[in-house]
Amino acid sequence: MRKIEKSKKIGTISAVMLTLSIVVSYVTSSLPRAFINETKSATLLNIIYITAIVLFIILLFCRLIQKFPGLDLLDISYFLGGNLLKNIVGSCFIFYFVVSSGLMLRNFCEGLVVVYYPLTSYIFVILMFIVAIAFVNKLGFNSTLNTAAIVFPLVLISIILLFCGNLGNFSFRRIYPVLGDGFYNTFILGLKNIGAFGGICYLYFIPSMLKDPSKLKKIAVISVISTGLFIFLCVATLLFMFSFFINADEIMPLFSAARYIEFGSFFQRFESVFLLIWIISFGCYLSISCKFSTHIFNKMFKLSDMKPILNIFLILIFAISIFPKNYASSNFFEIHIYRYLRIAIGFILGMTILILANLKKKKVGDKN
Amino acid sequence: MKIKNIINNVFKYTPNKTYNFTLPDIPRDSDNNSYNNEKSNKSQKIYTSISVNLDYIKTKYNLLINSDIISREFILNAKGKQYKALLLHIDGMVDSQILNDFVLEPLMMRNKNNLFDGEQNRVISEAITNNITVRKVKKFNLADYIENCLIPQNNIKQTDSFDEIFSGVNAGNCALFVDTLGIGFDIDIKGFKQRSIDKPENEVVIKGAHEAFVENIRTNTSLLRRFTNNENLVIENLEVGDITKTKCAVCYMQNIANSDLVAEVKYRINNLDIDSLLSVGQLEQLISDNNSLGLPKAISTERPDNAVQHILEGRVVVLVNGSPFALILPAIMIDFLTSPEDRNLKSIFANFLRGIRILAAFFSLLLPGIYVSVTSFHIEILPTELLYSILAARESVPFPIIFEILIMEISFEIIREASLRVPSPIGSTIGIVGGLVVGQAAVSAGIVSPILIIIVAITALSSFAIPDYSFSFHLRVFRFLFIFLGYIAGFLGIGIGLLVYLSIICDMESFGVSYSLPYSSMENLKNIGILLPPIWKREFRASYLATKKNRKQDDISMHWKFNKG
Amino acid sequence: MIKISNLLKRIIIIIIIVIFIFSFSSSYDSLNIDNLAFVVALGIDKSTENKFNITFEFIVPKPSSEGASETEPVLESVECSSITNGINIMNSYLGKKINLSHCKLIIFSEELAKEGISDEIYSLINEVQVRPSANIVVSKCNTKYYIENSVPSLENLVPKYYDIFPNTSDYTGYTCNATIGDFFNSLICNYCDPYAILGGVSSSETNSQAETLDDASIKSTETPITGGRLAQNIGLAVFNNDKLVGELNAIETVCFLSIKKEVHSFLISIVDPQDSNSKIDIYITPNSTHKIDVDFVNGTPYIKIKLDFSGKIYSMSKDSHYLDADVLDAISSSCNSYLESQFSSYLYKTSTIFESDINELGLYALSEFITTTEFDNYDWLTNYKNSTFDVDINTTMDSGFLLTQT
Repeated sequence: MRKIEKSKKIGTISAVMLTLSIVVSYVTSSLPRAFINETKSATLLNIIYITAIVLFIILLFCRLIQKFPGLDLLDISYFLGGNLLKNIVGSCFIFYFVVSSGLMLRNFCEGLVVVYYPLTSYIFVILMFIVAIAFVNKLGFNSTLNTAAIVFPLVLISIILLFCGNLGNFSFRRIYPVLGDGFYNTFILGLKNIGAFGGICYLYFIPSMLKDPSKLKKIAVISVISTGLFIFLCVATLLFMFSFFINADEIMPLFSAARYIEFGSFFQRFESVFLLIWIISFGCYLSISCKFSTHIFNKMFKLSDMKPILNIFLILIFAISIFPKNYASSNFFEIHIYRYLRIAIGFILGMTILILANLKKKKVGDKN
Repeated sequence: MKIKNIINNVFKYTPNKTYNFTLPDIPRDSDNNSYNNEKSNKSQKIYTSISVNLDYIKTKYNLLINSDIISREFILNAKGKQYKALLLHIDGMVDSQILNDFVLEPLMMRNKNNLFDGEQNRVISEAITNNITVRKVKKFNLADYIENCLIPQNNIKQTDSFDEIFSGVNAGNCALFVDTLGIGFDIDIKGFKQRSIDKPENEVVIKGAHEAFVENIRTNTSLLRRFTNNENLVIENLEVGDITKTKCAVCYMQNIANSDLVAEVKYRINNLDIDSLLSVGQLEQLISDNNSLGLPKAISTERPDNAVQHILEGRVVVLVNGSPFALILPAIMIDFLTSPEDRNLKSIFANFLRGIRILAAFFSLLLPGIYVSVTSFHIEILPTELLYSILAARESVPFPIIFEILIMEISFEIIREASLRVPSPIGSTIGIVGGLVVGQAAVSAGIVSPILIIIVAITALSSFAIPDYSFSFHLRVFRFLFIFLGYIAGFLGIGIGLLVYLSIICDMESFGVSYSLPYSSMENLKNIGILLPPIWKREFRASYLATKKNRKQDDISMHWKFNKG
Repeated sequence: MIKISNLLKRIIIIIIIVIFIFSFSSSYDSLNIDNLAFVVALGIDKSTENKFNITFEFIVPKPSSEGASETEPVLESVECSSITNGINIMNSYLGKKINLSHCKLIIFSEELAKEGISDEIYSLINEVQVRPSANIVVSKCNTKYYIENSVPSLENLVPKYYDIFPNTSDYTGYTCNATIGDFFNSLICNYCDPYAILGGVSSSETNSQAETLDDASIKSTETPITGGRLAQNIGLAVFNNDKLVGELNAIETVCFLSIKKEVHSFLISIVDPQDSNSKIDIYITPNSTHKIDVDFVNGTPYIKIKLDFSGKIYSMSKDSHYLDADVLDAISSSCNSYLESQFSSYLYKTSTIFESDINELGLYALSEFITTTEFDNYDWLTNYKNSTFDVDINTTMDSGFLLTQT
């Protein structure tokens, strides 16, 4: 039999789309609200500040990982601390991916139930996503990436439409007072918002999948900047439009902004079309999370075929998403626990391992 | 024990058995730098030795694998002497009767003409001076002799370059080489069957050739030859079917098409264990990759110019004896929304039409589903006036919307199928009768609402706007899935359905080429074309085909307008 | 054995589909177009017996085989203790579920508005179906009476009329496209106050009172209009926080809109500088160079408003010289002084009498503060009444229209 091994490699643009489509799901559920509630009118300043910090971190990351071309975080932690560390790191990230997608799914579906399916239990809406992802998981890794690459431009168009359609409702003076809740709140407490760049975590595992590993730096920088721009656009829309986000909450902030769009008297009330696009994009996000978790799991235990395990992670996500008793408790989870988890695992754990591995490499190099 | 088996069957790990073939990014022997390096090669002169000539022809025409190129070696009689000779022609393009009677017979048969040694006429003048006879002797020229005396043909030309000979052969002439002669004869005995070739019926274009494939494979290959007019076109014969032994021809440009692709096509066709093969449609299903959506994975065309266009792009064309269609491999999704007419139009219009077709595909797939979900879940999206006209129209309709739309969709499918079966004079009227009369009657009887008739009609029209028959089939069937999803959960259902649908499409491959290109991974965009570029900009062959020659025209193709450099 | 697992797969798929059909069917039934009654206007009144008297306006489409469908508005009222309860009672009465997603107009009665309507607004905004772009009207009379009389004189469809009439503010400036979303937005923010369209029904006898009025100072119920439709929407209802505190007449609404930059053109009548007995009509278009500055003098706001307009003269009489620079200057200065007096009186009226910053002037004060806490401590809304205004209006007269000189 002539068989040519299927290439699992990701191209540069696909990789950028991958990290961006993860941000989309954050943004459409609750992220902008958290941003605005914490830093008030200084949100835009805060986003620029945070983007700069993340850019700095990611440049450091690129520098650190340069010593290990083509290796991902798992290989590096194996190099640093053997199988044990590799498994610990892998489990941490799997836990992080599964928990984050579970909670995100719950929040998104709660929003959907409120808006369109008042008499349906949220469990069925979640189940609908889960069944769809089960179908998608049967397909290859690349299919999800390609889908994300098709859907993301649509999402981008929807967000730009949201921004332009609401231009008439904007008052740009809402960025004042410049510092919002004060310097401390904006720049020190505001550091918590770094979790918004959660999509960057996926970059740790990308190097071994890239078509051209030397482009990692380019990918990383482009993803960070475009993520920043994307969040900026969304938050700016909300901030300029509403005065009430500072004092009140809405369940899906971008959705409520979409409700205001009007182009003449005929094109009104088409927020459900926005939701349609975001649903597809959210599905992509879930599938990506699932596949990354499986990829890590397979790498930890050196399995060759990822398909049988995929659905186990899916069931885990389902379990986590129906775990919180109501919206309040899932929201509590997200704001008070999960955000710190995101920072702890996504940024601190990953970077620490990279730094230590670099030190070790230097030592080994010195000995030789 | 049985339960154990069931559990085992459900949870047991079965290794992934899918067959994968992926085209490499860069072909093994590629030549991407220059546009045309053949021009620089000097035209090869014809050799005097017939065996050397034969070898040269063999390499040029790939005689060993090319099925329709015929080289006939024989012994030529001239002036009582015998010479080795070689006749080269393309089967299907020459008139065999003329070839036999008026080329081969006078040359091979011993008759007065070629037995006559001409000694009598050799001496033109003779003068005897001092007992020395000085004879002015006519120098014997074999080539002229053959041309003048042996071949009773009206159009014959001597040439010493292979290029001229080949272009003649490609055009349907026959070439004669004779041992010891450094020239060849280009004999015009063109005789392809032109009367039997009909106009294409399904792919009608306005600005383009009006020729269609016929059932005879030899005629079809000659059509391809005529359009290509190049010796690099290889037509290989394969036989499929234990009983029928149907002849299939695999056609490709040997200096353009990716050899892995060609090998894969031949590999798949050679490894078919079936009794019979009667049509292209069967072959398409037999050789295309796994396909859960029923999407076509090969373009079938009845237009030779379209087939040749694709061959020159670096694709492979498969012909089956007995089918007036050619199969073009590989094909990606956008190919089915492209009409052969597109290339003849200015790019603005072509792109406009392409946009319309994409929109039509979208409507055809989703419009009824969106209607169901909007009226069941997302009423706020309707403009208020439209809402009230829908409400007014639905006032007397007794059925729920889902039932109403299913009735209409299914009856439209029945009408469409019926109009195919009915003999053609009535066939055209049944569409009108079915569409208008039934629709109008249903509305006035209060069974369906007029708005719904509009929706169903737009959907049906949209599916006719799709150029490819089997692609529009796919849309027609999957439309019902989206109606159902829209009915279950509105836009959530449709969104989820689209997610799965898009993912499956992105997962599909046709002969190692990703089916969703170029709209998915937005890389290597060289001339794949989300939009069709203007004709002077079509410099590259589609990069996903990994052709041996990437460029198909120069940077500046219109030299008359811009000087190069 | 493989077949068994395939069978199992199929069974699972079928079960899943059935589950979905059942789980979503309840939502489907409740949202299906056939089971819904679409409200086009919602009137909320104060009731003597219970808390509210809610009036719903429905449209019953009459199918006609050809051409436009004819419609007929239907009004239903209910006494209830909350809006949601009212909807609920009405649902059971109608036998259809009330859907507010096409509700164009939400009308509060003057009585209710004076007592404060923040609770009602909050719960309306909390309702998914209510569009933030629905217009909010304060009616000077009974809301049911207002809705009954809001029958368009030129169109067949009531919702179309509801859709269009607030848009006249673009070129008349006499009413305002006030939406419930804006209302909520201003209610909740700490530097602005909400406003609504002022609606009313004129008594059917001719208005003897209206004849004495200036054309520009009309407002709902005090208009010189006599026509088929009695409901009028002219002027603006001003709220302080959530309580109705006053009304603005037509020209004041024009001032309000020009400071908000939401009017494209309007018409004013000024005294002719050449002949003090006659008036000339001028068509004014605002230029984009509006400038508003807020300073603080001794802790009270000092608000500088500089507005640029350009005007064209409608009125023509026998000896008009609208190409003459002197004449134009005279008209400009007359126009300036007229507008300045109107703007200042409008501003002082809203700030000192109504104590309400409906123009969101606080937005311009935001940049004077560095943090939100500072701004909160300053408490703009209570300090606004002490503001001093400096209005500077610059009008450039261009010419007449077709005739330039007579």
